[in-house]
Amino acid sequence: MNRSSGLLSPRGQVLMFAALALLAFTAFPFAWMASTALKPSHEIFVTPPTLWPTHVTLDNLSRLFAETRFLTYFRNSLTVSFATVGLTLLVSVPAAYGLTRFRFHGRETVAGLILFTYMFAPIMIIIPFYVAMRFLGLANTHLGLILAYTAFCLPFSLWLLRTFFQSIPLEIEEAARIDGSRLQAVIHVVLPLALPGVVATSTFTFILAWNDYIFARVLLSADEMKTLPVGIADLYNASVVDWGMIMAAGVLVIAPVAAVFVFIQRFLVAGWGSGGVKG
Amino acid sequence: MNGGRALSEPVPSANSELFRLPEAAVGILLILPAILLLLSLTLYPVLYGVWISFFNKHSFFPQQTFIGFDNYISLLRDPEFWASVWRGTVYALSTIVLQIILGVAAALLLNEVFPGRNILRGIVIFPYVVPTVVAVIVWKWLLNSQFGLVNYLIEKAGLVDQPISFMGKDWIMVSLIIVSVWQFFPFVVIGVLARLQTIPDELYDAAKVDGGNAWQRFVYVTLPQLKSVLFVIVLLRSIWMFTKFDTPWLMIQGGGAETYIRTLPIYTYMRTFAYYEAGLGSAMAVVMFLALAGAAVLYFRIWRREENL
Repeated sequence: MNRSSGLLSPRGQVLMFAALALLAFTAFPFAWMASTALKPSHEIFVTPPTLWPTHVTLDNLSRLFAETRFLTYFRNSLTVSFATVGLTLLVSVPAAYGLTRFRFHGRETVAGLILFTYMFAPIMIIIPFYVAMRFLGLANTHLGLILAYTAFCLPFSLWLLRTFFQSIPLEIEEAARIDGSRLQAVIHVVLPLALPGVVATSTFTFILAWNDYIFARVLLSADEMKTLPVGIADLYNASVVDWGMIMAAGVLVIAPVAAVFVFIQRFLVAGWGSGGVKG
Repeated sequence: MNGGRALSEPVPSANSELFRLPEAAVGILLILPAILLLLSLTLYPVLYGVWISFFNKHSFFPQQTFIGFDNYISLLRDPEFWASVWRGTVYALSTIVLQIILGVAAALLLNEVFPGRNILRGIVIFPYVVPTVVAVIVWKWLLNSQFGLVNYLIEKAGLVDQPISFMGKDWIMVSLIIVSVWQFFPFVVIGVLARLQTIPDELYDAAKVDGGNAWQRFVYVTLPQLKSVLFVIVLLRSIWMFTKFDTPWLMIQGGGAETYIRTLPIYTYMRTFAYYEAGLGSAMAVVMFLALAGAAVLYFRIWRREENL
């Protein structure tokens, strides 16, 4: 686009105004959350509200750590999310490679089936899933949750990785195979080339596992097993809402997502272009 | 990218045996774990759900009695079921329309050149990647009837005389729609922006030569190019908004107006995990799936007919 958009032109002014409005709409709620998290209790409820805390305090954070199981929830969320990423990659990288590099009967059917399972929303499978998990003795375990997330991420991960493997020219791989075994060619040549796809897949999987509410709500009952979204929802519902503490929890929950997100943002464009995460 | 790291990894020698198998067998072996996981954890639950929808089944205890289509019949006679379908439709349609309008507008803006554009592109996506529970508590705080910033601002601006009870029965659906649009419009931005970047500038130059104004260029040049991406976005967003559970569920916690946003997914969940009627809950999930699949088929048909014209 090289249309005129000087800052002083009427067109430029309209653009800047619209950009500021969009910025306020998307970012202000987060800024307000952070500001509330840093205010002492009495300042949270003053009229008129203060945009920036006049007395910055970490009281809300220390209360969160001292009076709730926030750190346990945080550890649970980290364990479950990283295990989900690991298992998803372990299963979907070989599968996506197999789908693009080998010819076998029904290959296209498999690809179509994968897209079809993408249509099932959590609410449609949660009831039988819960009954089955209870039967297998996996209710109230992190393993049950990890399996649920892996199954849920798998169709999209396969789809995404498949497009990355497809984009790697066969000639490069064949040239590498002259010098070594196929496995060596895959490890030394194909995987490094598909790394952006692997990073994008890991990110989507991590975010899905980190953010999920419904599977964790249904599968986990013991308080010490809960992940962050369920733990925070229960903190909110427990009694009179401690807004400062809840906002502090909110800031800490989105911090890892923000870090991951800023770090690998350039990889994400590819993933979103081909379908996006569920939600 | 980081090619050097992979080079240092050891190569397991036992696996060379595997690669002497016929090509097709290796391919099938590679995708087998994925297929088994999908079959056991997605397809099996779906089929099992259809199966138990024909039973009177408690959610916790193993007892079950076959009752044929009784669950489905009692559903069709349940006024609360129809009310939840109606609420869900109001919620889904209004959020989809608003997400599309806001998302396309934001994408058009982010496709222009202005200072800070790349940072704003990153920020706009953010509401979509935070946990729903965070989105909901932030907005519950902003919309709080006593201490909420929104109430303070609209009162100060003279728009209202007394604070609005956003979580009360008259406003809770509006509040839910605001939160949902905020949370999900970035998905539309991402898809549309990616497509906008591939529209050749020559098309716009040609339209300018023909004397088209900005609106005409949007309608006759941009919109036709966006048609196919919007087709996919509307399909996915419809499936996900009609089945949305966590946003409305977290919105109704701690308020007295929960019946006013009890959509079909919420009612399904309640029947299963509050009334312990897993059979009936499954029947509702099956109905939800059939309705969506039917709508999707219809949607594809209409689309294909349009294409042929």
